[in-house]
Amino acid sequence: MLKDFKFTLLEQNLFLHPYKSIFWLEKKILLIADIHFGKAAHFRKSGIAIPESVHLQDLARIEYLNNTYKPERIIFLGDLFHSEHNETWKIFKQFCESKFNFKTELVLGNHDILDKSQYNFLELHIENLIIKPFILTHVPLKTHDPNGLYNLCGHIHPAIKLSGMAKQSLSLECFYFSKNHGILPAFGSFTGRSITNKRKSEDEIFAVTNKEIVPLFRE
Amino acid sequence: MNLRFLEKKFDYKLAYKWFEKRNWKPFPFQKETWDLFLSGQSGLLNAPTGSGKTYALWIASVLELLEKQEFNKNKTPEGLKIIWITPLRALAKDIQKALKLFCEDHGIKWQISIRTGDTPTDERVKQLRKAPTCLITTPESLHILFSQKQSVSFFENTTAIIVDEWHELMGTKRGVQTELAISRIKNLSKNKLKIWGISATIGNLEEAVEVMLGPNYKEKPIIIRAQIQKKTAIVSIIPEIIDRFPWAGHLGIKLLPQILPIIEKSKTTLVFTNTRSQTEIWYREILNKKPEYAGLMAMHHGSIDNHIRAWVEDALSEGKLKLVVCTSSLDLGVDFSPVETIIQVGGPKGISRFLQRAGRSGHQPGGLSQIYFVPTHSLELVEGAALRTAERSGIHENRKPILNSLDVLVQYLVTLSVGNGFDEKEIWEEVKNTFAYKDLTKQEWNWTLEFITSGGRSLENYSEYSKVNKTSENFTVTNKRIITRHRLSIGTIVGDPVLNVRFTTGGYLGTIEESFISSLNIGDVFWFSGRALEFIRLKDLTVFVTKSKKKGGRIPSWGGGRLPLSSQLANLIRQKLENAKHGIYEEIEMIKLKPTLDLQQKWSEIPDNSSLLIEKTISKDGCHIFVFPFEGRAVHEILSALIAFRISRIKPITFSIAMNDYGFELLSDQEIPIEDALELDLFSLKNIMEDVEECINNVGLAKMKFRDIATISGLIFKGYPGKFVSNKHLQSSSSLLFDVFHQYDPENLLLRQAKEEVITLQLDYQRLVDALKRINMQKIILKNTHKFTPFAFPIMADRLRQKMTSENVYDRILRLQQQLESLDN
Repeated sequence: MLKDFKFTLLEQNLFLHPYKSIFWLEKKILLIADIHFGKAAHFRKSGIAIPESVHLQDLARIEYLNNTYKPERIIFLGDLFHSEHNETWKIFKQFCESKFNFKTELVLGNHDILDKSQYNFLELHIENLIIKPFILTHVPLKTHDPNGLYNLCGHIHPAIKLSGMAKQSLSLECFYFSKNHGILPAFGSFTGRSITNKRKSEDEIFAVTNKEIVPLFRE
Repeated sequence: MNLRFLEKKFDYKLAYKWFEKRNWKPFPFQKETWDLFLSGQSGLLNAPTGSGKTYALWIASVLELLEKQEFNKNKTPEGLKIIWITPLRALAKDIQKALKLFCEDHGIKWQISIRTGDTPTDERVKQLRKAPTCLITTPESLHILFSQKQSVSFFENTTAIIVDEWHELMGTKRGVQTELAISRIKNLSKNKLKIWGISATIGNLEEAVEVMLGPNYKEKPIIIRAQIQKKTAIVSIIPEIIDRFPWAGHLGIKLLPQILPIIEKSKTTLVFTNTRSQTEIWYREILNKKPEYAGLMAMHHGSIDNHIRAWVEDALSEGKLKLVVCTSSLDLGVDFSPVETIIQVGGPKGISRFLQRAGRSGHQPGGLSQIYFVPTHSLELVEGAALRTAERSGIHENRKPILNSLDVLVQYLVTLSVGNGFDEKEIWEEVKNTFAYKDLTKQEWNWTLEFITSGGRSLENYSEYSKVNKTSENFTVTNKRIITRHRLSIGTIVGDPVLNVRFTTGGYLGTIEESFISSLNIGDVFWFSGRALEFIRLKDLTVFVTKSKKKGGRIPSWGGGRLPLSSQLANLIRQKLENAKHGIYEEIEMIKLKPTLDLQQKWSEIPDNSSLLIEKTISKDGCHIFVFPFEGRAVHEILSALIAFRISRIKPITFSIAMNDYGFELLSDQEIPIEDALELDLFSLKNIMEDVEECINNVGLAKMKFRDIATISGLIFKGYPGKFVSNKHLQSSSSLLFDVFHQYDPENLLLRQAKEEVITLQLDYQRLVDALKRINMQKIILKNTHKFTPFAFPIMADRLRQKMTSENVYDRILRLQQQLESLDN
């Protein structure tokens, strides 16, 4: 059984899911970052044999989340597609058109380099998308938003390393909420991770296991 | 064979006169090599460096070619005749010099060319247009030749392949590349090829020649032994005060005051250390103590710029240097006759390697080689005593040939497709005609072909795959980008990602691992290539530095490089301890070590051949179990994982595992139920295969192996250091690929290879079984000790660790968090 975790931020209820997504209850929005769809085919075109099933699982997970939360909007926080166009994009398009009766949305990420016409079945947000009290971007904003909006974003693929007695350590993907940024873990199954080791005492971190979300104490 | 007939037919007089003129005399082994080579045989010449092995084979080659053209020295033979394979491109120049010397003295103007990674492009093109008579090259460069369209006709006139330092190549994937190249050229040449290897002494010379000649060689392979092995005197540097608690790495430098007089007295000294970091440390410390050596001493290791290394080698052979601190990078080749003294820092872990190093000094045949052994922790003194026994009894280690490497095969087949393309039947025969792939099954072959053409077994899963095209005639690659990328990545040496180190003013220093640099901040000072450097900036895979006046600075560490103890040496070490246990202290090393061993006996035990010692200690870090099989790191790596795995079936538990050549440690924050585990037959051979397989997965050993396999088979493209090819969207880590395959393509044979390599390369599976059999006959002594014993201490202090767990992630997070809380309070 998969168990999500309710995290309240700025009086909004965010449900963090072990499938590495956030469901924002008040607005009925599902947030997903860094799927890197089409990456396997991109590798295959260059002679590196990666099986396609790695992406099919990601689609199945989106469908599961959709059935679980019944969101009214799905917003991808960038790096939806990994690189130049390939056949996998069609599969994704068909998936969106058959499963949702609304247009999914994309805040463009640095990997999203397809021709703009390719995105016609999505609603596109070039720089950011403001849904108060949040500002949604792909790359974390460098400077604090002048209107005091809190930045939800992706791009980093955050993970955290825990150490303890007996020289033990454990590294886990995580949701990372700092003073100004809430960073989502990368959704895609064919993505790397980057371990953050500059944790500040006020940062709130939620580790992802394959079953549940575990809030980590402050150090 | 009629020797007199041979001498006459091939005009040996030419060679005799040449030797006479130089005041040399041919050794019996040289003459024997000429005889056998010229009567058309293939084989192996067992001779040490500096013995005249090059002329043994080169003169025979020249005499044969001259005979073919009726001794007309002005004529040039048609096409490429002789291929000389060397493992190190640094050696190519010296070989070329030697080969040219004989020819020039006879007015023979044949082309003797070098083709390695250092050869400029225009020179390479020239060679393809007009082939030299002799080509000196490396296994990688030969394979790059196969990726050229002209390669088929290039080899059609070849008559002989000489493989220099074959002992270094065999037992590595470069050896497999060499076998493939030999088999290919055998087929491409119109002539009956002669194949000759040159090898230092190893335990399995007979096998070595068999591997080189391939399974289809039907004649009895020949081994010529030069019989000029020298006597070696081994002197251990013994600390005046022996620490009762040996701490790895710290002792060596403390012995410097005893070592400096030895260096002072000797004209030229080589100091061998086991790692590149140790080389940097020793260089710095010696320079601190002896600033007057500046300019007279140098360092040499694999991460230093080629040009600097070449300079050091030249200065060394010209006798200009007093001292060189080096790693195994100076094990090979070049005749360093001025070297008088060899110092080995740290256990050399193998007998053959140690004696070859000793042979670096005193090059007069029949002379006595002297080598000083500097222990880095006091227990290593046992190794000094063991090495002396080994030298006396003439024991040598084996080099184990590599079998069925599918990653190398994948790379090779793509190489051929990039070149002229290949015909399936023809290449199958060729590949089967190598020792490495003699047992390759049709099924594995078909999988490999599918892998390079369609990506994998299930076509639908691998749509849009583009690499090798299969047509009705052959397999070829047409995609230009894939061709370029493949040519850049031919080779089997896989290192950690490295960055270039360069002065801001332009000079190039060498390479350093990315992981080290990422731990530095701008302005930090680190020590590399024998000097203190300030980190200025990082740009385009290059670390820019300036010289720093600071004395200190961190020393980089490089991955890998820890060689495991050979089973022969491990055996001798156990014998020495057995003697100590029974109060027999003969060698000086053992006598000096007596107080340490006495303490070990008082607090715990000294294990003898009939007992296995296990110690259990509780510390503030948790519960420690130390096991001392004295089998060497390679065996301990698997054995410790196996034991941890079997204990973890009793209850959910997480271990961190450390090991050295003497034993291993399981450490846990929970009580380790060792008593219960021992009753359940912890060391049983039952289900051993299944258990080993499972623990290899759990500990992540297969994942570590997969890094090399993924790179060699082209799943990861790194580019060349310095030749950065932009392909950001193609980057991935081998560990991510491993996980993806593990989950979505578990039948992938490259995954299976990773598991097999853990068991067969890392360690002889048989060695593990033998070790377990031995342990099963031993009495197990379990000691609860209050403090870490002298045996346990160096293992406990080791920071390099593996993990093994049978707990679920959630419980682990909670416990790690609880420990954090209790630390706060």
